[in-house]
Amino acid sequence: MTDGITREKQLLQTFATLADTLVEGYDVVDLLQLLVDSCKDLLDTTAAAILLADPSGELDVVASTSEASRLVELIQLGAEAGPCVESFRTGKVISVPDIRLAPDRWSGFRDGATVQGFASVHAIPMRLRENRIGTLNLLRETTGELDPQDQLTAQAFADVATIGILHERTLRESTLLTEQLERALGSRVVIEQAKGVVAHTRGVGVEEAFDRIRTYARSHRLGISQVASQIVDRSLSLPD
Amino acid sequence: MRSPYDAAFDALERSAAAPADLAVPFVDAFPVSGASVSTLGELLGSETISATDAQAARLDELQFDLGEGPCWDAMRSMRPVLMTDVRTESRQAWPTLSGAIDPDRLGSLFAFPLVFGPLRIGAVDLYSVEPVRLNPDQARRAGAMADVVSRHVLRHALNTSENEFDERPSLHSRRVIHQATGFVLAQLDISPDDARLVIQGHAFATSRSMMDIADDIVAGRMSFIRNAGGIEVSS
Repeated sequence: MTDGITREKQLLQTFATLADTLVEGYDVVDLLQLLVDSCKDLLDTTAAAILLADPSGELDVVASTSEASRLVELIQLGAEAGPCVESFRTGKVISVPDIRLAPDRWSGFRDGATVQGFASVHAIPMRLRENRIGTLNLLRETTGELDPQDQLTAQAFADVATIGILHERTLRESTLLTEQLERALGSRVVIEQAKGVVAHTRGVGVEEAFDRIRTYARSHRLGISQVASQIVDRSLSLPD
Repeated sequence: MRSPYDAAFDALERSAAAPADLAVPFVDAFPVSGASVSTLGELLGSETISATDAQAARLDELQFDLGEGPCWDAMRSMRPVLMTDVRTESRQAWPTLSGAIDPDRLGSLFAFPLVFGPLRIGAVDLYSVEPVRLNPDQARRAGAMADVVSRHVLRHALNTSENEFDERPSLHSRRVIHQATGFVLAQLDISPDDARLVIQGHAFATSRSMMDIADDIVAGRMSFIRNAGGIEVSS
C-alpha cells in the first residue's frame, strides 16, 4: 500500500493520462485496458475487468488485468449469472463482501471465484442516464466492503470509461452507441485473432502473445487494436 | 477494359445468396455449352446444386450413379481434368461413363475441383458439344472461379445444416475460436474469414464442435499445413 500523498499523485497522474488518451481517433480498448490496470495498481483490488454489452445485451470481457483464461472465464461466468450481470441489469453497484455467501443462482461464479482465491467482488455499472453499456468489476482476495475512498475512485474510473465510449460517439454524430459498442467488441475479436497469430508464429502461449502485442503497441505509440489488425492482415510481424 | 472473365468473377462473388445460379458465370466466361456445380462424396452428399441446362444436369447424374467421371477425378486428385476430345479419350478414362453418353452431343469435358482447406467438397463440370480447347490461362481462371464457388457452397451447406454440436458457443468459447482463427490464418496465410470457415468446415466434417476444434488448435494438438497435395490437418 502506498501512503496518502503518493497515492493522490498517482491518481492525478492516472486521470491526466486518461485525459491524454481521450483525443480524437483514440483506441477504446487501450483506454479500457489502462483503466483496469489503474484499478489494480491504485486500488485495494487483486484483479479487474470491464464487460461491455453487445447489441443483444450479452456481456463480453473487453479488458482485464490478466489474459489468463481462468480469470476471463470467471468474469464471463459472472456475466451469465453473477454480480457483473446484476449490476448491468439494475444499473446499481453490486457489492459481494463475502463470495462464499453468494446465492445459489450464482454458484458457477461463486465456486470459480473461490477456487481462484477471490473472496469479495465489487461490480460497478457503466452508464450515463438511460444508456447502460457495461460494468467494471473488481475482485479482491480479502473479504469485506471495498474501502469507501476506493469505491469513489472506481466509480470515477467507470464514469471515465463510459464517457470515453460515449464521447467517441459524439465525435461522429452519425454513428449510434450500439455501433460504438460493436466496434469495441469487434476490436476484441481482432485482438484475439492477433494473439493466435503471434502465439503460432512465435511459439508462445496466448497470454504471452498478448503481452508482446501490448509492449509493441506501447513502444511504438500505437493502439492495441491497430497493432492487432496489422498483425491479422499480415502487414506487421512482431520482432522477436 | 473489363473482360467477360472479370464480369463472370464479379457475378460469382455476388451470387452468395443464390446457389442455384453458381454455374451460370462459367458459361459466360468460357467457350462451353453448359456447366454444373455439384457436391460429391460423404461430406455433403452427391447433389447437383446448379446446372445451366438439362444436359449438364444429366451428366452429373450419370457420374453420381456410375461413380466415375471427370467430377470424381477432379475432386479426388484436387486437380483440373481437361478432356478436349471426349470421343477419343473418354473410353480409357471412364469405360462405363463413355458407354452411357451420346458422342454426337458431347465434344469436350472439363472438371475443376471444389476444395476448401482440407475439405473435398465437389466439382464444377463444363461441357461443350463441339470439341474445344481451354488454354492454360482459361484453365487457371476457371480454377480460380471454382475456388470462389467452394466458399459459397461450403458456407451455404454450413448455414443450412443443423450441427447439433454448435448451438451457440459460450462467450469464453468465442474467444478461443477467435484465437484459433488467428492460428489458422497464420498457418495457411489466408484471411480471417477463410480461417474461420476452415475451422467450421473441419468441425462439421468430423462431427465435433467448433469449440473442440479451436481448443485443439490453440493447445497445439492440431494444425493445418499447406503442402504440394493441398491442405492437410495434422494432429
